[in-house]
Amino acid sequence: MDALVRELMPYVGRVCGAIALDRGDDAMQETFISVLRNLRTLREPAALHGWVRRIAVREAIRVARSGREDPTDPTTLVGLTSVAPIDMATVIDVRTTLAGLAPEQRAILVLRDVDGLSEAEAAQLLGVAAGTVKSRLHRARSAFARRWEP
Amino acid sequence: MSDVSRRWPVAMAGPIARARTLGASIPSAAWTEGILDAPYDAAWPWVADLAMSVPSFDTQVRKVQVVQRAAVDGAEQLRIKATTFGVAVPFDVRLEDGFCLMQARARLYLVLMAAEPHDGGARTRFLHLEAVPLPGTRLLRGHLQRVVDADFRNLVRLAALGF
Repeated sequence: MDALVRELMPYVGRVCGAIALDRGDDAMQETFISVLRNLRTLREPAALHGWVRRIAVREAIRVARSGREDPTDPTTLVGLTSVAPIDMATVIDVRTTLAGLAPEQRAILVLRDVDGLSEAEAAQLLGVAAGTVKSRLHRARSAFARRWEP
Repeated sequence: MSDVSRRWPVAMAGPIARARTLGASIPSAAWTEGILDAPYDAAWPWVADLAMSVPSFDTQVRKVQVVQRAAVDGAEQLRIKATTFGVAVPFDVRLEDGFCLMQARARLYLVLMAAEPHDGGARTRFLHLEAVPLPGTRLLRGHLQRVVDADFRNLVRLAALGF
């Protein structure tokens, strides 16, 4: 079981970190508990990644919603890492932008821009209409564009 | 992945969180978590010397013998024999910085120790877990809780004495 946790950790960390932000570590822990407790219900091993993705997104949204909506404090970035070497000012800027979005919008950004899912696939995973995904994605990308584009 | 999404925050699961996760998924798992009054840099090397540390705090283990040691995936993979109640039980061990998972062959018993620096490394957050990872063993949890509590009290005492 620990081997599975180690293998899934980088992916689950990206999903939970981007959606649950300051509570990403809690979301990650809840995700793994759910994955390990329910592993026996997974009939097709090839479906593992998609199944884990669904749980991680669900838990990250739930944890983010149950947490306080504090404004981003740069000091909370201690202990957080990124998947590539970067400068801290950029991380803080991305984090601030993400913190201004609802957890569901962050989830759509993760599914579309990190995982590369189609709008239809993201809609199915989140249990919402494709049009809802489209509008949430548009608002989320607009928030980034306002901050990142001249 | 876009250039911007590469800069997104990433959640981390440290040794203690990994241990809690495994514990929460095994019905019989019992664990104790607390603070050892010893620097992490002193506590973990002492714990990681299993032949020396385990018999001194684990009430059920008289002797630990390291049979084999190899580096695997950035960790140490050990085979040990832990003598408990007069029987030498073989364990497979994965040893990382702050994380030690010991599984008896045939997965009959599991012991886990996890540690992280606390108070900037001046003290050590420690978690000790034991479990029987087999179906239908939930009722063993009460007994295992008494075992890990006793072990943890020994660890606290040894840490206060500087190991």
